Amino acid sequence: MMKKQLAMVIDSSSCIDCKACMTACKVENQVSAGNWRNWIKVQDADFAQSGRPEGADSMHFQPGNCMHCDNPTCVQACPTSATYKDEKDGTVKVNENLCIGCGSCIPACPYGARYRRPDKKIVDKCDFCEHRRQRGDLPACVTTCPTKARTFGDLNDPDSDVARLLKRNKTMRVINPESDTRPNIYYMSMTAPLNWPVKAEIPTPIQLWKFVNPLVWGFVGLNALGVLAMLGKQLLVKDEPPVSVHEEKKEDAHE
Amino acid sequence: MNSKMIKRHAKITIFMHWFNTFCWFFLLATGLGLIRNDDLQLTGGWWSNLMVSLFGSAETLLLVHEIVGLVWAGAFMVFLVFGFRKYVLPFLRQIFTYSPSRDLKWLIKKNIQMTLGYKWLKRLGFTPDIPEQGFYNVGQKLFAVVSVLGGIVIVVTGLIMFLSNILIDNTAIVQWAILIHFVTVGLVIGGLLIHIYMAAISPDERPAFFSMFTGTVPEDYAEHHHKLWYDEVKTAERKAHSA
Amino acid sequence: MSSNINTPISRRNFLKWSGAATAATVVGTKTPVLHALVPSDKKADASNAEYHFSACDMCLNKCGLVARVENNVVTKLDPNQKFLKSRGMLCARGNAGIAQLYDPDRLKYPLLRKGKRGEGKWQRLSWDEALDYAAEQLKKIADEYTRCGVLFSPGSDMQSTFVHWFAEVFGSYNVTTHESACLLSRNRAYLDTFGEVPFSDVLHTKYIIMAGANRYEALITPDSIDLMSTRKNGTKLVVLDPRYTKTAALADEWYPVRPGTDMAFFLAIIHVIISEKLYDQAYAFEKLYGLEQLSEHVKQYSPEWAEGECEIPAKDITRIARELAAAAPAAIVYPGRRTSDYVNSTQIRRSMAILNALLGNWDRPGGLLAARQVGLSRVELPEAPFYEDNPDDRLDIGKAHMMFEEEGSFKHMRDAIIEAKPYPIKGWFVYKHNPLQSEANRQRTLEMMEKLDFILTVDIAMSDTAWMSDLVLPAPSYLERQDPASGLQGSSACACVVTRNPVVPALFESKPVFEILKELANRLELGEYFDFTLEEYRKQQLKNLPDAERALREDGVYYNPSKLYGVYEGRIYKTKSKKIELYNERYAEMGVDPMPVYKSPRKVPSGRFRMVVGRNAYFTHCTTQNNALLHELMPENSLWIHPKAAAGLGIKEGDLVEVSSAVGRGELKASLKDGIREDTVYMASGFGVLSKGLTNIYGKGACMAEILEDFSDELSGNMAMHETFVKVARKVA
Repeated sequence: MMKKQLAMVIDSSSCIDCKACMTACKVENQVSAGNWRNWIKVQDADFAQSGRPEGADSMHFQPGNCMHCDNPTCVQACPTSATYKDEKDGTVKVNENLCIGCGSCIPACPYGARYRRPDKKIVDKCDFCEHRRQRGDLPACVTTCPTKARTFGDLNDPDSDVARLLKRNKTMRVINPESDTRPNIYYMSMTAPLNWPVKAEIPTPIQLWKFVNPLVWGFVGLNALGVLAMLGKQLLVKDEPPVSVHEEKKEDAHE
Repeated sequence: MNSKMIKRHAKITIFMHWFNTFCWFFLLATGLGLIRNDDLQLTGGWWSNLMVSLFGSAETLLLVHEIVGLVWAGAFMVFLVFGFRKYVLPFLRQIFTYSPSRDLKWLIKKNIQMTLGYKWLKRLGFTPDIPEQGFYNVGQKLFAVVSVLGGIVIVVTGLIMFLSNILIDNTAIVQWAILIHFVTVGLVIGGLLIHIYMAAISPDERPAFFSMFTGTVPEDYAEHHHKLWYDEVKTAERKAHSA
Repeated sequence: MSSNINTPISRRNFLKWSGAATAATVVGTKTPVLHALVPSDKKADASNAEYHFSACDMCLNKCGLVARVENNVVTKLDPNQKFLKSRGMLCARGNAGIAQLYDPDRLKYPLLRKGKRGEGKWQRLSWDEALDYAAEQLKKIADEYTRCGVLFSPGSDMQSTFVHWFAEVFGSYNVTTHESACLLSRNRAYLDTFGEVPFSDVLHTKYIIMAGANRYEALITPDSIDLMSTRKNGTKLVVLDPRYTKTAALADEWYPVRPGTDMAFFLAIIHVIISEKLYDQAYAFEKLYGLEQLSEHVKQYSPEWAEGECEIPAKDITRIARELAAAAPAAIVYPGRRTSDYVNSTQIRRSMAILNALLGNWDRPGGLLAARQVGLSRVELPEAPFYEDNPDDRLDIGKAHMMFEEEGSFKHMRDAIIEAKPYPIKGWFVYKHNPLQSEANRQRTLEMMEKLDFILTVDIAMSDTAWMSDLVLPAPSYLERQDPASGLQGSSACACVVTRNPVVPALFESKPVFEILKELANRLELGEYFDFTLEEYRKQQLKNLPDAERALREDGVYYNPSKLYGVYEGRIYKTKSKKIELYNERYAEMGVDPMPVYKSPRKVPSGRFRMVVGRNAYFTHCTTQNNALLHELMPENSLWIHPKAAAGLGIKEGDLVEVSSAVGRGELKASLKDGIREDTVYMASGFGVLSKGLTNIYGKGACMAEILEDFSDELSGNMAMHETFVKVARKVA
C-alpha cells in the first residue's frame, strides 16, 4: 500500500475570517490563552489605487496551520527527535514524552506554527487532530468551517478530495524563498498574503552542535589513538626501565 | 618483593568509584542513544536505534537516562554532604594541589615513557627517573579535576534539561545546556579512555586497579608510584609507634 | 525515524511527580517512579465519550450541534452535519459555547442587592427566599399600580415564550423585546409591501445587492454560507456600506454610500427599471398594486440626481439597474435584518421591498421566499385571566404610526415610564435582555430604572442590566436545560424543528426561567396556568408531526419537506389591496407617504462624525464579549476612523480618543482605517460595561449605548442608531 501524505487544500477566497476554525481548534486541542495552533492571515486592502479596492487590491483572508512539510526544518532543529515526520501518514508530529521543551524547533518553523505550552512547557502544534481522526472525524477546523474553505485528506489517494482538488485546480504553496520546506498545505492560486513566512532559524547552540560534533569526536578519537599507542607499545615493545633508576632513586631517598 | 599492604581506599570510596563507573557507562550508552537527530548523531543512528529497541521506546530511554542521571547526581550529593570532611575535602585538596616543576616534568616524561618507552626518553635527553608523586600522580589529579568539574557541568546542564519541562521558561538556556552537556561528556570521555587504559590495562598500575576492589596496595607499589604519599604514611606509622 | 506516541510509559507523569517533589520535598511518597512505569490507561479515549444533539444559543440562529461529553464534562461542540439550515457548520461563537457553560463569571446563586443600585453589594439568597421576595414585590406593584405596572422583557431564547405567557397571565400588556432595537423597520416595510416578511433564496440567486447588511460578519444561517456558495457559482454581489466590512471586501463591487441615502440609490434603480421598461409587464399587471403611481413618483429620482445624494456614480447606478433586471427574477435586494438605523428606516426598506417587487422575485427560485410550513402545533393553554382594574392599552401605544403591538418600542416605552404617562410602571422583569448595552442612550435607561421600585433580572452572567437590578437569578446555559421545540425557517435550505435536552446537569444553583416562572406563578396564585411540564408542552407542540420525535432523537433535527416555491400560487397577498403594494393605501389613509419619498439625511456638522454601529462574527450584540474564547479574538472595541480625519485631529493608530455625543461619552483606542468614510466613525457594541461581574471586559473600551442618541424610526418605533453625530478628540495619555 502506498504511504499516506495527509494534507490540506485551502480555498482562501472562501474564507470570511469568522475565526470558527481557530476557536474550534482551541477548544478541541485545549490550546492555552495567547497561543494558537492555526490562524487566519490577513492581507489588508490597498486603498491607494482607487479608494475602492477591487480584485487583487481587496482584503484577503488566508487560513493556515502547521504545513506538515516534506522538508521540515523543525525536525532538523530537534535534538531529541521528539519532532519527527511520521512516515505512516506524512504528518509532522511531536512526541510529547520525548520533548524536553528546549524550543529549538520554534524559530525553525517558517510559519510560526509552533509554540511552547505554558503548562507542560513542551512544544505544541497542529497534528491535524490526530485524536479526532482516530475516531473517524475530520480535523476540528475542517469540520466547523462555515464556508468549507479547508479540505483535508490524503494526497497520495487519487480518490481523495484533496487529490482531486489539486488535479483540477491551479494551486500554490506559501513559502519563504530562503526556506522552502515543501509544505503540504496547498492554496488555490491567487491566495494572499504571501510575504509572511520567515526564514527558518535554527538556534545557535543547535547549529554550533553540528560544528563541534566532529571536534568532540575528534578529541575523543585522539585520546583513543594515544591509548592505542600505549597499548601497542605495551604489547609489542619490551621496555624495562634501567635497573639503575630504582637504585639511584633509593639512594636519593636515603640521603 | 615486599608483600606488605597499605590501606589506600575506604570502602565507601570504592563503592562510589564503581557506582560512578556503572552510571557513566550507562548514561553514556543511553545518552548517545538519545541523540536521534541525524544531523547531530555521528554514529548514523544505528546506536540510537539499538538503544531504543533495547529499551522499548525512545521515551523510555529518555526516562531511564533521566532517572539514572538523577540517582547518580543524588548519590554524589549525599556523599558530598555526609562525607565532606572525611573524604571529599581531602580528595579535593589532593587533586587541586600541584607542584609545577615536578608535575610538569612527570607529565612529559611519563607520556614519553608510556608511548615511546625508556629508550626514547633517553634519546630525547631526559633522565629515566620519573618525578615522585603523592597520593595521586599528576595524571590522575588532572583527570580527577576534569571529572569533578565536568561532572558538575554535566549535572547542572542535565538538570536544566530535566527541569526544562518543569521550571524553565527561557529556552535559550536549555538549548545551550544541551550543547554543553554533550561537549563536556566528550571532554571527560577523552580522559576516561586514558584512565581506563592506565588503570585497567597497563601492567604498571595493576596494583592500583586491584586496590579499587581490596582497598589496599603493596608497599613497594606505593613506594614506586606514590613516593611522597608512601613517605607520609611511613612517617605517620613511625609517629604512631613512638607515641 | 519514527516513534511510537502511545508508549505505555508516561514520562509526563514522572516529570509531574518530580516537579512536585522539587517544589514540596515530600518525604515518604509512594514509589512514583515505579508507578510511572505501570501502563497508564487513563488517557481520554473515544469509548469514554458520549455525544448529544443540541441547538446553539450563542446567537439567534440555533445551529444544530453535537456536544461531546467526557466524564460529565462537555469537551467539544461540533456542528451537526445533518443540520441543513446552517449547512453543517458552527461559527466561532458556536465553538465558544463551552466557555459560556464553564465561565467563572457565571451567576451561581440568587443575589439580592444590598446598598445602592450598581454598587455591587449583594446578599446571597436561597431560592425560596428569592422567589418569595420576587413574588411579594410583583404583588405589591400589581396591587398599587395595576398589573400593567410591571414591564416584561422576555429576551429571545427558546424559553422566552414562557415569559410572554407569564406576562399575559400576570396581566401586563407591557412587554418589550429585543426586536425594537433590531429588525422591526424591515418587518414593517415587507409586511406593508408583500403582507409577509420574506426569506432570501440566496443560494439560487444570480444577483444580490446588499445595503445595510453585513452577512459575512453578522452571520445568519443559511444566508451567510449560501452567499459564499452562490458567489462561487458566479452570483454577483454589490455592497453598499459606509464601512469596508468583510462582506464589502469579498463583494464584486463596494460603494461607500453616504450614510442614510440608500433610498436615493434604490429609487434611482427603480427609476431606470421603470423608464427602460426592464420589468416583467405581465407579472406587474397581475401581481403589483400602484405601478402607475410609482412610475409617476420615481420620475424625479434619476441616477444623476441620486449620485448627488448617495455619492454612487450615476453610470454605476444605471448599469446595476440593468444588470439586476437582467438577472431577475433570480435577483435580490437583500432585505437585511438589523435595520434600526435611521428615522425613516421603514421607508428606506420600503424602497428596497418595492424594487424586489418590480424584479418579480417573490416566491420564486433565487428570490424572496414566503415562510414555509414547519407544522408545530400551538399549545393549548388555559385562557389568561382578565384584570378589571388594568388600563386599556400598553404604555407606549400610539407613539409611532405603525408600531407592532406584541413588540412595542423600547425607546417609547422608556420615555413613557420616565414621564409616568399615561400610567406608572414600577416593576421590571428581565430575562436575558440587556438594554443598558443594546439600547441607545444608556443614561436614559438608567433614568428609567430610577423610576422603578423593583427590577428582577434572570441571566447566565452579570450583564449590565443585572448589575443594576435588585434581584438577580441565575439561569443555566443552553447546554444545561430542556427547552420547548422551535420551528426554524431556512429559506431554500429547509423548514425544520429543533429542541434541546440537557447535555450536562445544570451547574451551581442555576434554574431555568421556566422553573422560576412556574414557582413565581404558584406564589402568585397563578399556578394553574403553569400546570404543565416542558415535556408535556413539547409533546403538544409536536402532536401533528408524528415523525418529529424520532428525527429529533436520531438526527437532532426534524425537517418538514413543505412546499418551497410557488407557495402563493392561487393565494392572495395579505395586504389591503390583496396584491403586492408598491403604493400603500393604508399609509395614505394615515397621512404617511404611501410610496417612499426621499428626504436627505441631516448633514454631518463640520468637526463631527456620524457614528455607525455593526456586528462582527465574534459577538452577538452585547452578549459574548466576556466569553473567554471570544474575548481573545477581540479584547476591546476601538474607534474606526479614516486616516485623513484622524490626521486632522492629531490622532494616531492606537491613541486613546474620547467620543462624545449630546447624551454621553466614552474613551477607546483609535483604529485608523482606510475602509471607512471620512465623515463616519464606527465602534463595536458590548464594551465599556458597568458590571464588574464581567471580569474579562470590565474597564475595556467604550459603550456604544452610552454614546448613541435615541432617535427612532417614525413608522415602527424601532431604534435609529445611525443618526448620532459625535465629536472625536485625542486624549492625552
